[in-house]
Amino acid sequence: MFRLSAAILCLLLLAGCAPKQTWDIDLETDTAEDADYSSADLLSISDNMVASIQANGFSQHYAAAHNGQRPVMILARALENNTDEHIDTRMILDKVRTALIKNGVAQFVDDQAFDQALDQLNMQATDLYDDRKAAQLGRFVGAHYIMRGSIGNIRKTEGRETKNYFLITMTIVDIETLLITWIDEVEFKRGSTKGSVRW
Amino acid sequence: MIRKTVITALAVLAVAAGCATYTARMNDTGVYYYDGEYDRAIDALDELVLSSSNEDCCLFMLERGKVRLAAGMYDSAIVDMQAAERRFDEIEGTASVGEILSTSIVSEGSKEYQPEPHEKILLNTYLLLSYWGAGDRGGAYVERNRVINRLEEYLGIVTAEKDSLLDVPFARYVAAVLYENEGKLDDARIEYSRVEDLYPEAVPWTPNSHLTEIVVLTEMGRAPVKISREIRGYFEKVNGRTFGYFTLPGNAGQQVYPVTSSFLSGDAGLGTVFTFTFPEYVRMPRGAVSCRPVIDGVETGMAVTLDDLEETAMEAFRRDIGTILLKSALRTYLQLLAQNKLEGDVGRIASVVAKFFSLVERADTRSWQTLPSEIAVFRMEIEPGSHEVSLRYYDASGRLVCESAGRQVWVEKGKKQIAWMPGPP
Repeated sequence: MFRLSAAILCLLLLAGCAPKQTWDIDLETDTAEDADYSSADLLSISDNMVASIQANGFSQHYAAAHNGQRPVMILARALENNTDEHIDTRMILDKVRTALIKNGVAQFVDDQAFDQALDQLNMQATDLYDDRKAAQLGRFVGAHYIMRGSIGNIRKTEGRETKNYFLITMTIVDIETLLITWIDEVEFKRGSTKGSVRW
Repeated sequence: MIRKTVITALAVLAVAAGCATYTARMNDTGVYYYDGEYDRAIDALDELVLSSSNEDCCLFMLERGKVRLAAGMYDSAIVDMQAAERRFDEIEGTASVGEILSTSIVSEGSKEYQPEPHEKILLNTYLLLSYWGAGDRGGAYVERNRVINRLEEYLGIVTAEKDSLLDVPFARYVAAVLYENEGKLDDARIEYSRVEDLYPEAVPWTPNSHLTEIVVLTEMGRAPVKISREIRGYFEKVNGRTFGYFTLPGNAGQQVYPVTSSFLSGDAGLGTVFTFTFPEYVRMPRGAVSCRPVIDGVETGMAVTLDDLEETAMEAFRRDIGTILLKSALRTYLQLLAQNKLEGDVGRIASVVAKFFSLVERADTRSWQTLPSEIAVFRMEIEPGSHEVSLRYYDASGRLVCESAGRQVWVEKGKKQIAWMPGPP
């Protein structure tokens, strides 16, 4: 009995003395840790939305009608966050934008570079810069579409069990007409339980 | 003589072990906070957070978050309160084996603090106000959603009449104001209707999303605090008979009782130390009973009661006290058992350890102490733009007690702006 106790104590001490560990997690196989929004959800939402936009074919239709040009879009500042979690919803928009540019589906105007670009242009318009090499005023490209959306959730908690339903809706809206050019949604519901015993 | 010497030595050890109650440790902070000396209150809380054990750390962070909010340090208030909230959520509904053992032998205060439901609802409400103060409307709306979830989780969709004392109308009112700002008038109406059940005067005639209004929320008084009540004594054999010597709360001097229980007949050599502790909630005195906002130098109408947090805390405690007393009785029994019924070397060691724990035992006096005892509201239509808001506090005879420092509040056209004003006791 004493030897067994001593062995268990040694094992516990060894476990406690284990060096700090780090490891890589494969994003493809990563799963959510609990019922809250997670990085796995970010990837799944953005992948689904990109696939849906590509399958919609509006980019090809636009190119056919505009001499092969790709549509120019701008992002909303963020998805409207109607959840009970502090989510950086801009990350979803950024991931979708990156994929659409990389896949040649659309061009994007950088909504966050405006002030800095304007400062630079104003500066370069002064005598400090060589006129021949300075960026020219009046060449900003106007976006024809805006990409926006919302994310909401319904959470139910009972004791140690939590169930969380998410609905993410994204749209591409024609700025001239306000017509919705593309819309899709991703929804999922996940449950999690906490252990009843902690150490 | 030896017995008394050993017990005295153990008592000295107990004092050296630093067994001040939570209420005692928060004393300085409370004085600074309610005197409006936020910097000194934060300094005191910094020390408490650094020196506290894991059991109390999150509660001190919660207190610091609340003080930082009052000081207008919104970002750091959010950091503190969110850290506390994360841990409270992690441990909610769980039990620790170590804590079950320690609370059975040492004290209820040796387990991690788990807030009362109304404290958790208020935590998210103050987080909402922090985000709102920091100008992060999106963050405030998220916290509003969390407040609504908590209200539903702890109080149900419709609050039963018997639970109405545990409701937090302050949280519902703030949530409703944000719903109005978003144009979600049905949601605002639902929350206002529940506030109306408790405080009809506090609710606006009808929710709207077009009027430009200022909503002044004021804190009045101090939350009640828990103090440790202790029945202490020891048993010893004199000429073959067992006597109990007790110090009772409210009784000066020592009471001596002859005891015939066979349970205490064992002789561990040092007599038997007895301790039974329990917390008692004490209402804090109030200097002011009413207040009037002063907006741009003009004194307005009286702020009306929106939430009696003192009564909510008392009611929550009334519902808990049975379990607290039962646990305390069990702890006392186990301490007596360890001193009387174990034999041999193990018995002698257990007896000394049990005596020590018995001597150091204090009731668990933890609660969120920087909360007010009451929240009042004043609401009026106002021109858009910048306005200075201060408060004049009055005592029961209508005499001016003090006036708070002014705060600049920016009101956007067609919106409702919350001016949250922490108040004096």
